[in-house]
Amino acid sequence: MNKGLIGCLGIGAIILFLVLVGGCAVAGSYNRLVGLQQKVDQSWAQVQNVYQRRADLIPNLVNTVQGAANFEKSTLTEVTNARASVGRVQIDPNHAPEDAAKLQEFQQAQGQLSNALSRLLVVSERYPELRATQNFQSLQAQLEGTENRISVERGNFNSSVQDYNTAVRTFPTNLFAGMFGFRQRPFFEAQAGAEKPPTVNFNFGSPAAPPAATAAPTP
Amino acid sequence: MEIIFKVARRDRRSTRLRLAQGRLPTSLGMAVRCERLFFAVVAILACAICAHAAETIPPKPDRYFHDYAGVVSQGAAQRFNEQLAQFERETSDQIVVAIWRTMPSQSSIEDFTQRTFQTWEVGQKGRNNGVVFFVFVDDHRMRIQPGYGLEGTLPDITCNEIIRDAVAPRFRAKDFEGGLAAGIDLIFKAIRGEYKGSGKTVRESGSSQSSTAGLLVFFFVLIIFLLAVRASRRFGGYRYTGGGGPFISGNWGSGGGWSSGGSGFSGFSGGGGSSGGGGASGSW
Repeated sequence: MNKGLIGCLGIGAIILFLVLVGGCAVAGSYNRLVGLQQKVDQSWAQVQNVYQRRADLIPNLVNTVQGAANFEKSTLTEVTNARASVGRVQIDPNHAPEDAAKLQEFQQAQGQLSNALSRLLVVSERYPELRATQNFQSLQAQLEGTENRISVERGNFNSSVQDYNTAVRTFPTNLFAGMFGFRQRPFFEAQAGAEKPPTVNFNFGSPAAPPAATAAPTP
Repeated sequence: MEIIFKVARRDRRSTRLRLAQGRLPTSLGMAVRCERLFFAVVAILACAICAHAAETIPPKPDRYFHDYAGVVSQGAAQRFNEQLAQFERETSDQIVVAIWRTMPSQSSIEDFTQRTFQTWEVGQKGRNNGVVFFVFVDDHRMRIQPGYGLEGTLPDITCNEIIRDAVAPRFRAKDFEGGLAAGIDLIFKAIRGEYKGSGKTVRESGSSQSSTAGLLVFFFVLIIFLLAVRASRRFGGYRYTGGGGPFISGNWGSGGGWSSGGSGFSGFSGGGGSSGGGGASGSW
């Protein structure tokens, strides 16, 4: 009788120990997931930040370029429209999107704006007096810096999403990650056409080639 | 390669089996061991080759001014280095100047400088107040890249102006020393006053920190050791006699107090800063 009681107590202690150890392990993984998720959101906020920075530059750029004598109106309207369509994409700046389609939409709108802006810079090559102005030069420097920041922050975002997704998918975290609502997050994909280097125009003397020639269709 | 490995593994297993069954002479056991060693070496070599094929980011510099291209005289390099070290002492801002012949990468200049910046960890942790001034002499390209914390005082326009108006004209006239001096000076002017320094560089305060850490570890080990001796005495087991002497004398003073920059230049260590890709590039 006494022996049986001790045996029961021993088994109980072992079970309690196992539950405690298991609980600690689950709590540890859970906290790790929370940390990784927060990092994803943080890097997403940073992505939004740099995109916003670019959007803020545009009115100033448009005003400066408009001042140049008979600047091509179509390029300008394209930039303005692209910026407006970026504004229409409703996206939470503080939480990284969980829906791949949403991110796709955001990326597409921003990609259109990128294209319109680079076209504007190409067209501006034809206006030497515009390019010589202090205002345009500083705007161009800012724009270049912002584009670089965008690519850096997108890279940071992708790597933090990758860390998070790996944690969500690997054993043993994957057993309960779904239970607590941790799902895989989408990340930025390389822009269509980004895999081939841009065409460089060495014809500095003559006006720049039309944008249609630089943006060759991908097969 | 994998197939070869697999075949080799199978062969080895069968040899080991026969060996265990006592059907093979022991010299073959030696051969098996040699073979295993051989494969380990091959695997390590393969790894090393793979790692080498990937692009190499230049290792962390040990000083502030690095002229890999040899365009600046020894004396000027020394002077620039001391100037930059002194600036870190005063403001805690870390500025590194690195000059190469050509860019050691196939990638774009912005991409290369960003990754190099992150690897070198220029700037203090938390403040992110580093700046790296990259120059690629034969490419005729340069870039000034600030960390996150200096994007406000050293915005892209300022970087662009420094490059365009002060540095590029001098570089065009082959006056590298003058161009660098002007560039460094203008960077100083732009960012001075944003942060306050501690009077020491990371390298200088880092070495004293590591020696205190070493001392702490030493005392910790000593206390544990003494407790263990006491416990063993109390339980009347083995009596530990006379073991303390050599142990203490062997460990005393090994706290790691290596001196910094003993060879006449102020050494650089990255403080853990990071950059978001700001700054400007230019050519001459």
